[in-house]
Amino acid sequence: MFETLSNLLYGFTVAITPMNLLYCLIGVVSGTVIGALPGLGPSAGLAVLLPITFGIEPVSGIIMLAGIYYGAMYGGSITSILINTPGDSAAVMTSLDGYPLTQKGRAGAAMGMAAFSSFIGGTVAVVAFTFLAPVLASAALSFGPPEYFALMVLGLTTLAGMTGDNPTKGFISAIVGLFLAIIGLDLVTGLPRFSFGMMELYSGIDFIPVAMGVFGIAEIILASEEKINMEGLRNTDLRWKKLFPTATDWARSKWVIARGTALGFFIGMLPGAGATIASFISYGMAKKASKYPEEFGQGAIEGVAAPECANNAASVGAFVPLLTLGVPGSASTAILMGALMMFGLRPGPMLFDKSPEFVWGLIASMYVGNVMLILMVLLFVPLFVRALLVPKASLNAIVIAFILVGAYSLNNSMFDVYLTIGFGFIGYFMKKLKYPGAPLVLALVLGQLLETSMRQSLILSGGSFGIFFARPISTVLMVIAFGAIFLPAIKNMISKLRTKNASA
Amino acid sequence: MFKRNTMLMLLTLGLIALMIFSVGCGAKDPAPAPAPSPEPAKEEKPAWPQQDIEVVYHSKAGSGGDIFLRAMGKAVEPALGKAFVVNNLPGAAGATAWTRVAKAKPDGHTILGISSTLVTAPLINKMPVNFMSFEPVAMMFIDPMVIFVPADSPYKTLADIVDAAKKNPGKQKWAGGTPGELGVVAGRELMKAADFKVSLVPFEGGGDAAVSVLGGHLDAGIGEYAEIASSVEAGQLRIIVAFNKMPLNQEIPTVAEEGYPEVDVRKLRGIVATKGTPPEIIDRLVEVMKTAYDDPSFKQYYESNNLIPEFVVKDDFLKVMEEQHEQIKASLEN
Repeated sequence: MFETLSNLLYGFTVAITPMNLLYCLIGVVSGTVIGALPGLGPSAGLAVLLPITFGIEPVSGIIMLAGIYYGAMYGGSITSILINTPGDSAAVMTSLDGYPLTQKGRAGAAMGMAAFSSFIGGTVAVVAFTFLAPVLASAALSFGPPEYFALMVLGLTTLAGMTGDNPTKGFISAIVGLFLAIIGLDLVTGLPRFSFGMMELYSGIDFIPVAMGVFGIAEIILASEEKINMEGLRNTDLRWKKLFPTATDWARSKWVIARGTALGFFIGMLPGAGATIASFISYGMAKKASKYPEEFGQGAIEGVAAPECANNAASVGAFVPLLTLGVPGSASTAILMGALMMFGLRPGPMLFDKSPEFVWGLIASMYVGNVMLILMVLLFVPLFVRALLVPKASLNAIVIAFILVGAYSLNNSMFDVYLTIGFGFIGYFMKKLKYPGAPLVLALVLGQLLETSMRQSLILSGGSFGIFFARPISTVLMVIAFGAIFLPAIKNMISKLRTKNASA
Repeated sequence: MFKRNTMLMLLTLGLIALMIFSVGCGAKDPAPAPAPSPEPAKEEKPAWPQQDIEVVYHSKAGSGGDIFLRAMGKAVEPALGKAFVVNNLPGAAGATAWTRVAKAKPDGHTILGISSTLVTAPLINKMPVNFMSFEPVAMMFIDPMVIFVPADSPYKTLADIVDAAKKNPGKQKWAGGTPGELGVVAGRELMKAADFKVSLVPFEGGGDAAVSVLGGHLDAGIGEYAEIASSVEAGQLRIIVAFNKMPLNQEIPTVAEEGYPEVDVRKLRGIVATKGTPPEIIDRLVEVMKTAYDDPSFKQYYESNNLIPEFVVKDDFLKVMEEQHEQIKASLEN
């Protein structure tokens, strides 16, 4: 404990040199912008900005790159809340309640809550990382394929929270998402599935073009045919004081933030899961646990708090396997790992001993970066909100441009651009026919990992499904998942029986 | 009101411009060749390279091959006078990157970084390109493949694990890559040579496979040294055998030394160019790549990652790929 503190202090001496502060600031500012621009997410942003760091000190370079990564988690919420177009995939859930809040004239409160919730999630996660990293890393190791499968099943149960008024349509949407997830090369045989001879489909369908289409383009097409009620927006009170969430907002959100942070951090730590899945599950849990589930999707403030604390905590959590095991937990940390290797540093357990100034400087910079981010976001919220005053037609055109450039930047391929446009039209018809988009995207995100982990588990067990119940962690997760599915039905039955008895 | 709007519009337009510029920068043509230079070409000056060289690679930024190309790019830049700019095109199981270079203008300004994946992937799925669609330039390294176990595993040598597998056929689980990856080929070749059977569990990235072995969920794993090096240094994983002799770890036996010299698996890293690229340009490329070995920071990179320098150029390089092609084809048919 004492040793950790002195290491951390040492880290601060590295992180607060003027040069490193400057790199941290550059990182978090560009991260926020990258996160806020629809389509351009942290991994594409990192890949683009990576070469800039080659000339500078490794520790400054990584401080800047890390700032881009967690800064993007702050930025993603801005466009979600203001124009209903998620800035990156981890902010998809933030738009579900953030935009309704904007329509009610509470854009400031939503953005304030997003910023605070992000700050709490990010900072608590850094503290946990500082003191518990080695312990946590071994916890992450206890997750093998069966545990991943159980976690994904649990994730799918949160779908129930996103189906809207018509559960049947929600489930149809989810099944289509699961189907999209199986397109591409088969993990075991290597043969293409449902690719219809198109090589572009060999690598499968990335969920980012789908999310950008269904949540971004579709929204814009819809907006261009509807007369948007701008009253709420124009009445938005932009005085700085009004940005702070009210006492009621806090009361409703505090437990949501606490749970979301813990959950986000843990999911972020698991290689392959990441911030997007964390935000989905956190939102689903918040709705399940809420006293007012019916308000979700209509502008519940905790619907903004839940995904935002989780995705920020997850972005910090992703550094745990990177720095302690030398394994990247997400696409973005894979790029960070590449950067480290270019600097001649090998991430992994020995890094703490071999280059303490590097590791602790990076950790300390995350405390600094989070403070910079919240100050910056709060200062500029009034400015961001004014973007709503830009005439809708111009704003939409700009946003479409961003989305398409972002889609291209994913794999540097036009195919993703066409996919995004295609899913934009699909999303438009889904909205018209009242099929919710979130289950489609969630099922696609979870589906790929669900299938991979299931098939790995079945090879491990020689084909027996018992493996999911033979190990403690996966059993617990499966039981929770089944509970989440069947408890409401059982409750329903009991209350029906009661009323029957009462009436009889 | 009007003023504020105009300001915002300008701001956003500025942002768009910045973004398009930066994306274009990182991804496509960093320094768009100034359209045909007005001055008459100076014949005596080196005709190549006239602009930065785009090095296309089939996997994402941060992957092993990507780091190799970027590190080499830095090393050859002084000699070339132009930069190597890596363009990552991970789509279509590699085919996007490969077709781009196969169809590029054969002027040496668009070249392809390759690994053994260029040999294996077109064997598994129909693709319009394979390694024969290119002009071989040079192979620079073999990336060593190893078999690793958790530190507390009872298996100390290849013989231990093979004996155990023979007693309980199919009971052992080894983490490997996806079909067509060289790790899977290595596993199959070894099983054939030593006559034993284990279940190979596919993992999409070497890192995920390593974590599963670290966590004790699998008995062993086959992968590239670089992906597990940090856990080996920390004493959490142990390499029991390598497929290639590693410069830094001479003490680790190879499969050949353990009695299976017929198992020959080499994950290669190198460069090829578009068919029809003039031989002078290929020769010049070979020349600068050779000088890269002496660059101090590049040397530090490849030595610390245990890459095995093996400089094989042009037709000999093609022969290496042809042999690998035959070997993998045979391994897939079993």
